[in-house]
Amino acid sequence: MNRAGLILLLISLHVFALAQSPTTTFVDFTGAGAKFQGSAAASVQRLWSVKAGKFKIGTGLRITSYFAANQYYATAPAKLTSGKTGPLVFFTENIPANIDSFLIKTPQVNALNAMISVGYEISPKGWIGFNIDAIGFSFGGKTRGNYINGFAGANTESKPTTLNALLISDNDWGTLNSELYGKYFIADRWSVKAGLQFLFTEYTTKTKVQQQPKPNDRFRRKSLLVAVGFSRSL
Amino acid sequence: MKASILSALLLVVLLGCNEDDATPTKPIDDDFDPTEATLLKSGTLVGVGHTVSGTASLFQRNDSLLVVLDPFSSQNGPDLKVYFSKDVRASSYLSLGALKSTTGKQTYFVPGKPAVTEYMFVHVWCEAFSVEFARAELK
Repeated sequence: MNRAGLILLLISLHVFALAQSPTTTFVDFTGAGAKFQGSAAASVQRLWSVKAGKFKIGTGLRITSYFAANQYYATAPAKLTSGKTGPLVFFTENIPANIDSFLIKTPQVNALNAMISVGYEISPKGWIGFNIDAIGFSFGGKTRGNYINGFAGANTESKPTTLNALLISDNDWGTLNSELYGKYFIADRWSVKAGLQFLFTEYTTKTKVQQQPKPNDRFRRKSLLVAVGFSRSL
Repeated sequence: MKASILSALLLVVLLGCNEDDATPTKPIDDDFDPTEATLLKSGTLVGVGHTVSGTASLFQRNDSLLVVLDPFSSQNGPDLKVYFSKDVRASSYLSLGALKSTTGKQTYFVPGKPAVTEYMFVHVWCEAFSVEFARAELK
């Protein structure tokens, strides 16, 4: 058996083992906010227990709606922000000269994404968790924004970038939500949670308004929001 | 819920560019003598949802282009900028800098060497909140 076959076999065994593990399925509702920004998210998640039931890993589907006022978006593509692509972007300093601003008066983006979710049970009543969107699509209305680059600028139309994909740091595309939270069970099926939400939203301009060092039409905002929510087990 | 969100956003936007002391209000009188420059075109400033009045003019002095606001009076607001643009929506513009004062004669150098015939409008623009305060079409 070659190496690829062995890896596939191991993955299959792991998936089979997970399939035999106890599962938790729940719906989750989260609201998050920061200055002039807010989001609302709803998800369905299924987690499998591993490591004697303490550690949970799973997947789900989440819809996120982001709304804000007067937010600055910045040049998005990694090849401009870091001068390179690939996983090492995560460890690379940004190049400020390549990063321009796109100011949107009323950004509003909706995203439907498949997500990855992990959790660790710290007591029978509570656990900590992390989740992150992996792939999906965004939708929302067109809006005008102000592209600002030194003394030159342009007021132009833009819309949410359609494709969302988690590809490490500035390689990411589109709108991706992630949460780090603590959850506490207040009843058999009900729990409340609180934590932080790190939300990427992205707009694509009608034309490539940025010309230097390379033409670009994608602009991203990275928002850190305080999040609260509740879940109900199914 | 949607109505609540929209109301909150509207409130933020409306409050954002209402009267504020962000732009200096002390009357200004920049040292500019129109007899030493050539008037290329001018227009009347018209408020856009705000109280602004005056005249915007484009002058050439030696190799420099200048936009002059004289007379000029504007309602106050935060982060007010002067834009020199190609069209009524400022789809492509040059930022001439922060508005120096809400009243008085003020001059702004036009950066670069733009084609004068392409730039037709002067705007007073609240940049942080994306609100146009006034515009003048230069003819």
